[in-house]
Amino acid sequence: MDAHLLGDARRWRYYALAPAVAVYLLLTALPLANLVAMSLHDIRWQGGSADWQFSGIRHFAELGGDQLIRAGIANTVVFAIGAVTCEMLIGFFLALFTSRVVTGRVAYRTIFLLPILIPGIVIGAIWKLMYNPDFGVINQLLSLAGLPGRDWLGEKNLALASVIVVDIWHWTPFVFLLLLAALESLPQDVFEATRVDGATAWQELRYVTLPMMWPAIAVTLLFRLIVSFKVFDEVYLLTGGGPGTATEVVSFTIYRRFFTEDRMGYGSAISLVTLFVLALLIVLALYGSRRFSKET
Amino acid sequence: MEKTGFQRQLVGIVFGVGVAALLAFAGGAAHAQKVAPITIVINQSPWFGGFSKAVEAYERETANKVTLDVNPFAGSAEKQRNSVRSRQGQFDILVMNSTWLAEFYHGGFLTPLGDIDPSFKLDPQVLSYDDTAYWDAKTKSNNARTGSLYGVPLNGNIQLLFYRADLYQQAGLKVPETWDQLMANAQKLHNPPSIYGMVFRGARSASDISYDWMPYLHSHNGAIFKDEKAGDFTVTINSPEAKKALDTYVDLTRKVGPPNPGSYGQAQVIQALVTGKAAHGTPVIAAWSQMDDPSKSAVVGKINVAVLPRGPGGKPSPTLGHFIGAIPKNIPRDRQVAALAFLKWFQTVQAQQIVANAGAPPIRKDVLESELSNKPENRWMKAMVDSAPYPRSMYTVPEGPQIVSVLELRLNQAVIGEKNTAEALNTIATEIQEIMRKGGYKTGKLPDLK
Repeated sequence: MDAHLLGDARRWRYYALAPAVAVYLLLTALPLANLVAMSLHDIRWQGGSADWQFSGIRHFAELGGDQLIRAGIANTVVFAIGAVTCEMLIGFFLALFTSRVVTGRVAYRTIFLLPILIPGIVIGAIWKLMYNPDFGVINQLLSLAGLPGRDWLGEKNLALASVIVVDIWHWTPFVFLLLLAALESLPQDVFEATRVDGATAWQELRYVTLPMMWPAIAVTLLFRLIVSFKVFDEVYLLTGGGPGTATEVVSFTIYRRFFTEDRMGYGSAISLVTLFVLALLIVLALYGSRRFSKET
Repeated sequence: MEKTGFQRQLVGIVFGVGVAALLAFAGGAAHAQKVAPITIVINQSPWFGGFSKAVEAYERETANKVTLDVNPFAGSAEKQRNSVRSRQGQFDILVMNSTWLAEFYHGGFLTPLGDIDPSFKLDPQVLSYDDTAYWDAKTKSNNARTGSLYGVPLNGNIQLLFYRADLYQQAGLKVPETWDQLMANAQKLHNPPSIYGMVFRGARSASDISYDWMPYLHSHNGAIFKDEKAGDFTVTINSPEAKKALDTYVDLTRKVGPPNPGSYGQAQVIQALVTGKAAHGTPVIAAWSQMDDPSKSAVVGKINVAVLPRGPGGKPSPTLGHFIGAIPKNIPRDRQVAALAFLKWFQTVQAQQIVANAGAPPIRKDVLESELSNKPENRWMKAMVDSAPYPRSMYTVPEGPQIVSVLELRLNQAVIGEKNTAEALNTIATEIQEIMRKGGYKTGKLPDLK
């Protein structure tokens, strides 16, 4: 090809990329740069205007001593692992069991998907009523069975588990939907060949279904992990981080420091560190997923 | 064709009526559109019903347009911050709770009402609420004598003792004047799970347990700081008096409270009272409107209110949880004028009667003491008047939201048993001292409690 034309084509690639880069800079890099700037300052308001005082890395240094952050990280990890593990297992087996059901598939799929269609605020209201120790349906059912009721959101040993249950209820349909779509797209001739070869149901699942499903499982798992690390609305609506720090999660700590206490510099520092840790997790998860795919 | 006399008369009449109608319309329009439309940012509190009734009456009476932007409590503060920090504000009246008032005064976001109308003054019948509507920018304090008027109180929220008058009568109990007497009464009525002796706002939130415990602290002669008004911010919350106050509170929650008092917020306290599950509570008076509402309450006519009890050697000390309506600097002049027109109207007797009739606490002493107070449904008014000399502010520094955050967590930990009362207060003192040190205040703290 003519060198001149080749150069034009290369330049054109950059021109074509320019709008996307501009949008990225405007919507991602710029806010991020602002967050970095804020994290290095103490910001106070006096006489109607903001007074920025350089604080260096002091806000980052304070993070380690912040008990709310420590509790938030611990709870977020427990929350993410607990909720996502259950969602993946229930979602996968639901998809597996229902993938071959033909009768009433539209009806049951609609019913299964309902929780992800309900707005977070409504979910908070529904579950807060269900968990109510005096009037909630859960304690009423327990009392019918002759069992004592519990304060599901008020007892420090139960509160986080109760929030995890709500998250499982909310997000399992999402996992189910993605895995069912992946399951239905698998080539059927492979399964037929497996059965002709006399494989048991377990062998079919272990050696055929799971390896072929792995990319879909990995993507779903990664997506759910990222979203669950950012959990906010369920905690905000159900417990407000309490009792004590029993349900404090990182996003809620950021909200509290940044907005409720109006500590913009410190809140920015927490946000940046969270962003960095999440990005690192994503990179590690993607790397691990690729390696695992290659090996299997 | 020549018109007959009758035709000429008819034309004259039609013309006259037309002109009169036009003039009437023009006059009406001029009357209707006196001032610019305004937007009020407010939170959804128990007293909101009374305020919205007053707004409806104002619109009917003046034909001025008022839009209410209603939010959850914490969300309202955030919206107000965003609005006053932008080039042009979105809201014309900020309904500010006492917990974030100091931040807005210190930030310099508000307009002195005298700058909009030099003749405007707070009506002498409006209660003072510890001078919180005034701000002295030089001394950085609330002072009616030296400061400028920045707002009009919109709601006189303070805590009162809500108690089951019917159960008191059956058991032959006297209204308690001290926390110890309250404990004794509550123990007599405590019969869980049918009824709890008392319910508390023990939850950790934007403002629950810190507000609920303050009357205990102040009525035991304790305080967060040594002498806030004199600029001495030595932290004294870990004093023996404060420990006694927290011991009393925690003791009450354990002996006569529900199984998990650390999860009860304001809504749960009100719910327990109106469903007959609680014999006592100390919610804000704004909650009263629900007590006698047959659609919400199972105990209509059975609850009464009294001045809060006190600690040994102390005075009853309800905490100011009131709201001030203020006008931001960053809105156009015509909207400032319109906002002040509403505030002027709101402090009138007529407006405050509408508020009181809706079961919300009025801001005028004469309305609280008027014939309205003789009606059985307004039996709370006397306790409000009797409490008038005692209300205390929680703090007057802009670091208030950080202080509240510390109090909410550590007090809640004391209630749920994660920390003992001395540990909780020592931690609070250390953390508040650090907040004040970073803020550049003269500070220190008492030696740790053992």
